[in-house]
Amino acid sequence: MHRELGRRLIRDPWFLTGAVLMFLFAFLLAARPWLTAFDPHDMRFQPLSPPSAEHWLGVNDGGMDIFAELLKGLGNTLAFGLLAAGVSLLFGVGAGLACAWFRGLLDVLLMRIAEVLMAIPAVMILILMAAFFRPSPLFLALVLAALTWPSIAKVIRAQTLVLKGRLHIGAARQMGASSLYILRRHLLPELFPLYCIGFASKARMAIFMEASLSFLGLFDPGRKSLGMMISQALEYYYLDIWWSWLLPPILCLSLLIMCVTFLAVSLEKVFDPRLKEAL
Amino acid sequence: MQTNSRRYSVLSYCLAALLMLYASYLLPRLLPGDFVTAMYSSSQVTLNAEQEQELKAFYTQEDGFGGYLLDFFRLSWGHSYAFLEPVSSLILKALPWTLLLMGGAHLFSMLAGFVAGVETAWRRGGTAEKAGVGLMTVLQGIPELGTGVLLLLVFALHLGWFPASGAETAYADQSPVRQVLDVLQHLILPFSTLFLAYFPGNFLLTRGSMVMILKSRFLETARAKGLPPLRVRYAHAARNALLPLVTRFGLRLAFMLTGALVVETLFAYPGLGTLLFNAIAMRDLPLVQGIVLFSSLLVLLVNLALEAVYIRLDPRMKHAS
Repeated sequence: MHRELGRRLIRDPWFLTGAVLMFLFAFLLAARPWLTAFDPHDMRFQPLSPPSAEHWLGVNDGGMDIFAELLKGLGNTLAFGLLAAGVSLLFGVGAGLACAWFRGLLDVLLMRIAEVLMAIPAVMILILMAAFFRPSPLFLALVLAALTWPSIAKVIRAQTLVLKGRLHIGAARQMGASSLYILRRHLLPELFPLYCIGFASKARMAIFMEASLSFLGLFDPGRKSLGMMISQALEYYYLDIWWSWLLPPILCLSLLIMCVTFLAVSLEKVFDPRLKEAL
Repeated sequence: MQTNSRRYSVLSYCLAALLMLYASYLLPRLLPGDFVTAMYSSSQVTLNAEQEQELKAFYTQEDGFGGYLLDFFRLSWGHSYAFLEPVSSLILKALPWTLLLMGGAHLFSMLAGFVAGVETAWRRGGTAEKAGVGLMTVLQGIPELGTGVLLLLVFALHLGWFPASGAETAYADQSPVRQVLDVLQHLILPFSTLFLAYFPGNFLLTRGSMVMILKSRFLETARAKGLPPLRVRYAHAARNALLPLVTRFGLRLAFMLTGALVVETLFAYPGLGTLLFNAIAMRDLPLVQGIVLFSSLLVLLVNLALEAVYIRLDPRMKHAS
């Protein structure tokens, strides 16, 4: 079943665009040591100098190489997004499967918690935490994941409930398969498309959050990030080096979010039969 | 319907509100030792000894969570040492601007997205539709930070058509008409940024659900009865497309808040977002806490109101409950 879907996915132009962008970013990050020789924290260059053969995007106000900063920031932003999305997916899948399989008190309790969490604006909790504790980005990513798993859990739970009534699950149970075996061998792989959709949409949200929060200055100022670069470059918008300083992080961020959005849209289109004809 | 299973109870909202209040009560008390001194030593605000004592007293009140709740409902949310004003009055002064900007952007983007989505679904096929959907999908991928900075650079700094910051011209004694125009002129750039961020999602969702709805048999009946097309389109078909739109709004409101925060900060619009940004920059803890709490509760309230709207929109819900 999944193989046929995969073939349809590859033919989808949105998926292709997203995948190309993703490989581009992966290449940029993997090739970082060869693309730039500078340490993004190195402050010994001529401040505010325009792009040159040595400094591809020039030097910022603090005397740091902008290209090196950009790559480092891109990596940090992406790492935050992927981590938050991954952990959120893990929580969501675990909770959703457990709820649908075991039902009863666990289901009621977890779903109630999910509803409460979905009503709370995650960004406000993050701001509160960041303002009081100044935690590491790792911790904030985990908090974000802990606040955003419910929407994944709800989707997984609903789909598991559908699958649970199917014949092959009943047959497996008849043959004496344990709950754990059925969960691991039947349900987990069958829900695979939902993991992709959930992961892509959470990654998009988390990248957007990271960029916004770092733009607002909630992370450690020493940590490079696309949002922080934008907020620093904005202060010097009137200099004519804005196109080499302000524009690259904006483009990078937009392309990054676009890449994840395209992947999410395409996955949803191909995997969700209800939407098949709508798009 | 899947949309129905996403409805929450009033109890969930009350629990969420209590949880937010409790988190806001607990967090500062979890911090070790003399965090007031430590925090304000790295801030631009300098406290004198008396203020420092006051702030410490504010954070170490011994009357427990109940007392904290009581204080909260009495609007005594502490004193901002950066702005030298009570937190509640600062928040209430900034609130109208945020409501104007965010409310306006949401209202317009929803209306425009809805109508555009319905009309596009009605006239299916053709390159115009494909191009429109493609463009909207691309636009959906551009964050507010990107559009905002570009609009700011082009229209405010390069062309100079619109002001780059603020919500009105300061100290200008103008006639009421001029004043309204002035406010609108300041509003247009942040408004457009938010509009561009919200419109694509509303459009795509309305179009998607409309395409599904247009296949239903009851529309054939409506048409066969000889109802005018406009009536079939909106009174019969589009009404159903409104439901997922309302659901999505509720689900994404908390997330969209982040974007609005960035946009307000970017255009220095004097709403809650900019206030929060300044409070963070100056490490003005009572103010940060006040804004976070206030806006979270506001979001919960809006969501609760949406539930009522939803029940009104969908008569099935009334019978189900």
